[in-house]
Amino acid sequence: MLIIILRRLLQAVMVLLFVALISFLIFRFVGNPVESLLGQEATVAQRAALENALGLNDPIYEQYANFVWRALQFDFGNSYRGALPVAELIALRLPATLELAITSAIFAVIFGVITGIYTAINRGSMMTNFILSTSLVGVSLPTFLIGVLLIWLFSVELNWLPSFGRGEVVDLGWWTTGYLTVSGLKSLILPSITLGLYQMTLIMRLTRAEMLEVLRQDYIRLAVALGQSKRQVYFFHALPNILIPVITITGLQLGSVIAFAIITETVFQWPGVGLLFINAVYFVDIPVMSAYLLLVGFAFVVINLVVDLLYLLIDPRLRDGQLRKEV
Amino acid sequence: MSKTREMTAPLLEISHLSVMLKKRRDRLKAVDDLSFKVYPGEILGLVGESGAGKSMTGSAILGLIDPPLYISSGEIIFDGNRIDQNASSIRGSKISMIFQDPLVSLNPLRKIGDQLVEAIRTHINMSKAEAFDRAKTLLAEVGIDPRRINAYPHTFSGGMRQRVVIALALAPEPSLIIADEPTTALDVSVQAQILDLLKRLCRERGTSIILITHDMGVIAETTDRVAVLYAGRLAEIGETASVLNSPRHPYTKGLVAATPRIDADSYKKKLFQIPGAMPDLEQIPQGCAFHPRCDFANAQCKIQQPPLFEDRSACWLLKDGSEIS
Repeated sequence: MLIIILRRLLQAVMVLLFVALISFLIFRFVGNPVESLLGQEATVAQRAALENALGLNDPIYEQYANFVWRALQFDFGNSYRGALPVAELIALRLPATLELAITSAIFAVIFGVITGIYTAINRGSMMTNFILSTSLVGVSLPTFLIGVLLIWLFSVELNWLPSFGRGEVVDLGWWTTGYLTVSGLKSLILPSITLGLYQMTLIMRLTRAEMLEVLRQDYIRLAVALGQSKRQVYFFHALPNILIPVITITGLQLGSVIAFAIITETVFQWPGVGLLFINAVYFVDIPVMSAYLLLVGFAFVVINLVVDLLYLLIDPRLRDGQLRKEV
Repeated sequence: MSKTREMTAPLLEISHLSVMLKKRRDRLKAVDDLSFKVYPGEILGLVGESGAGKSMTGSAILGLIDPPLYISSGEIIFDGNRIDQNASSIRGSKISMIFQDPLVSLNPLRKIGDQLVEAIRTHINMSKAEAFDRAKTLLAEVGIDPRRINAYPHTFSGGMRQRVVIALALAPEPSLIIADEPTTALDVSVQAQILDLLKRLCRERGTSIILITHDMGVIAETTDRVAVLYAGRLAEIGETASVLNSPRHPYTKGLVAATPRIDADSYKKKLFQIPGAMPDLEQIPQGCAFHPRCDFANAQCKIQQPPLFEDRSACWLLKDGSEIS
């Protein structure tokens, strides 16, 4: 058990080092940092001085080691624009993105799992058919269109919810949160739905498919034959057995929600890292881009690590190092 | 023995049960006008080839038949009450079931103790601690170390898991257990142990068993009476010894002859085979379903379905009380 966990941790570190390498290579070789910083009219002496200051003349592995070492201390250099430290820029905007991602993930998981189970249990009912056909719309409409439609309906026509921004936020020193004010919560609703709708339909369809599969298993038939109630059969026997695939997909989706909140953040002018990244792309702000890449890689690795550890928690066969060869 | 049995009221009485399969516009008979009784404390074997309707009969008793299958006619009476419309009241508490494959009959993510406690508390009103003690007792009875109550199913072998399943089935003290091929998935040496265990525990408790199998050896060793099914119909029913030693229906004769025996010169003989195969549901022939494979078939066999003669065998050759040779 401990060995499995240690092995997973080691793998996670290797993946992060590789992500750091790509991030470093972008930083080092995409565009020319010297030109970006000094502009075209700089003298040769100025260039040489800056190259030395940035360590660009050191051997490449040394530069990489330096990069990793500085990244470990959250030092990603200064943004080309505004010359603020990148770490500070990200720290300023990360809470907005994380709160948006987490809210939309919770929304997606709760509604996805509930409707998934419902539609699996009540196969062929009117409500099931309605949910399933509506979910097709959710999958096929692009995110920005959903966002714009929601703004049109709830902000412009009904005037219930704000159409952009985070509303009032509370500063906790190291974190700014929108969870503690009414306007902050109201501002979260539309972007969360926009961002989570696709994930919700995905989780719902997965839950439904897994549930239908599990309900065919012999231990479910036996539980029914032994007279156990529907509630016992569904929640004691079936639900734990669909958790592993559902958690896997949810984890991956949470990763992409954080990484690709960009569109939603653009539509709702949400002051998160996605918006920061888009602006960095416009201005070829390489340090911001490479730090963003590292951040997203880190988020994916951490989430997958947590997912793997959850597997061990759920499935005793995996705890004993036995693969699922029987089922 | 048979006299005293006839005097007691049957525990389960199935009369004229038919199960239909709805297939587009067709209605196919999967179980056709089946009648038999199970008496308290006895072990009744249901034997037949795959698709003869054995398992479906078992499921029908517990009301576990789902569309496109449905019970089209007949009655199932358990302990004096009709249960064919409302089986959920007796499911588990009065009648429980054991399935073929113990490897997939237990929830892989739950400790066996939790599953036992769940099964016990579904039907018996007792505290968790009491149910837990009871689960331990049950485990000891089926020959599993009670200290393993917190183990997960994957740490047990197939035979051990079937023991756990038997404990699950016995947990609410049912008066009838339907065992659907309980040993088919197990090694031969383990098969005998499991059958002995099931037999012993049920004798001790006076629990009846319907043992569904295709194995004539299992029938011979385990059951008191046996019902032979063919294409959803009852071919022959009677005391096991009598049916096996002097079968009356040509199909039973074929089954008995096709069972390998281990004796001094068995290896010299070629094993008997019944020619042909059991028909699909779509193609059950008119008259006696067995007539195309039967050496003794006459004109009547091809036209009219035989009733059960002498409470024993559905074969026209027994019409005049005469034995076929």
